[in-house]
Amino acid sequence: MPLLHDIQRRLRDAVVAEDAAGTLLPLLVGGNPGTRLGIHRHHYEASLTRALIDKFPAVSWLAGERFATSAAQAFVRAHPPAAPCIAEYGIDYPAFLASRAGAERLPYLYAFAELEWHLGQVSIAVDRAPLPIEHLTSIEADELPDHRLSLQPGLRYFTAGWPVDELIKQYLSSTTPERYAFDPAEVRLEISGARGEFHIERVDAGDFVFRSSIAVGATIGTAAECALDVDATFDPGNALLRLVGAGLVIAIDKPEINA
Amino acid sequence: MASRRIRPMPSVSGVGLRLPHLTDVVATRPSAAWFEIHPENFLANPHAAELLVDIARDYPISVHSVGVSIGSASGIDRPHLARVRALVDLIDPILVSGHLAWSTHAGEYLNDLLPLPYTSETLRIVSAHVDEVQDTLGRPYLIENPSSYVGFSTSTMTEVEFLSELVHRTGCRLLCDVSNIYLSAHNLGFDRDRYISELPVDAIAELHLGGFTPEPEEGGGEVLIDTHGSCIAEPVWAFYAHALERFGRKPTLIEWDNDVPPLDVILAEAARADAVAQGALAPRQVHALAS
Repeated sequence: MPLLHDIQRRLRDAVVAEDAAGTLLPLLVGGNPGTRLGIHRHHYEASLTRALIDKFPAVSWLAGERFATSAAQAFVRAHPPAAPCIAEYGIDYPAFLASRAGAERLPYLYAFAELEWHLGQVSIAVDRAPLPIEHLTSIEADELPDHRLSLQPGLRYFTAGWPVDELIKQYLSSTTPERYAFDPAEVRLEISGARGEFHIERVDAGDFVFRSSIAVGATIGTAAECALDVDATFDPGNALLRLVGAGLVIAIDKPEINA
Repeated sequence: MASRRIRPMPSVSGVGLRLPHLTDVVATRPSAAWFEIHPENFLANPHAAELLVDIARDYPISVHSVGVSIGSASGIDRPHLARVRALVDLIDPILVSGHLAWSTHAGEYLNDLLPLPYTSETLRIVSAHVDEVQDTLGRPYLIENPSSYVGFSTSTMTEVEFLSELVHRTGCRLLCDVSNIYLSAHNLGFDRDRYISELPVDAIAELHLGGFTPEPEEGGGEVLIDTHGSCIAEPVWAFYAHALERFGRKPTLIEWDNDVPPLDVILAEAARADAVAQGALAPRQVHALAS
């Protein structure tokens, strides 16, 4: 008798990879077992494909429903979810989309889909009480560079080689112009959101590097140095005040340094 | 086996709380007796979780996991179980339940409740996992009988025998999905009345009812698909009344997960479940008063 682990491996292959059902069928009873197994196979593909289509509606608008559905079906076969929370499923889908035959006609598809992923993630976030700007004044000026900031949970920094923010605004406005000039151009985006809403702002090079460095855990001092590397006119003090003043910072702390 | 007591819960009908209804429920506070949630819809959605915490202040909540995967030979999903525990700690639900099924294999989640062969090996694995879940949650775990399209020729016991032994070994309770019994009996050709008569009554803590979809099969006949996308079928209402005669009144949940209608439609199904229960048990109560 096959062990449970072996049965589950075969069933997994039959459901996900549409494979190995032949070796499984002699173990199954109930109607036509091959057809019945197809119920699980169909559920797996249909439920996850629907989840991706629902999560990336703008991709369907841009690339067409046939392309999007075919890509989603292929993705769920190639990349099963790693965990039961389907809201987390699909982070690798933008790269997969861009690798599909036919995607070469849309060189901005990867960036567009990534932007849509980030919009979905920030819109289910919950914002927290912002750090009062007065809190900064309680810290000695020469110690500030050694501090780290925690940012709002629904905040992402994203660069693209195409102005995909304009394109997604076209989608969101439900308008389809007869002609639309769309040329490569680097954009640096700050995507914020909470409780069902989101905003996309373009940010200049210095602020983008400063804020995105803070977002990945750099100290204020290190983030400022990185920003000065890309913009010699960058003003760290002013940038810090604007970041806190915008309500994007929720905490400040000084990391302990181990001797 | 640690003895764990189940919290008292009103034996009336509740409804599944799905994401499309969250903001309405927060805003209107409808007259539902209790709600059941799938934690997987909330654990990665902080906004939904925030709304749930608000709802849990006013309604009893039952947590019904579809992702713990107690039947997986490769082990339960422990990181997921830890997240479920955190949600349980946050909202203090009145019941926590899952399925006699598996959904995770070697780090992949298959988004379905897949069937198990009922063997001594499976029983050993599932019992160990139920023990671990109950130890982690610090409360009884209710196990739901599956909806089945296939069985295994290698099974050495019936589903009821398996569930009864699981209760005996772990002290878990049972969530009896009446629609699943009806559907599985149709699909696999077993006697649904006998199934009901053999379940350990004292372990039944909750009932489920859900809609299914008949689909024609090659060679004639039809298979019933557990879609949770429609009203409860008429024959299932009669079977529900029969189940209540055996189990007595239990908290009953109306499940509706696909093509989700306005909440009023689901609440109307819950009201019907209460009416059916009242009708099914009235003669017994009258008889008890007379004797």
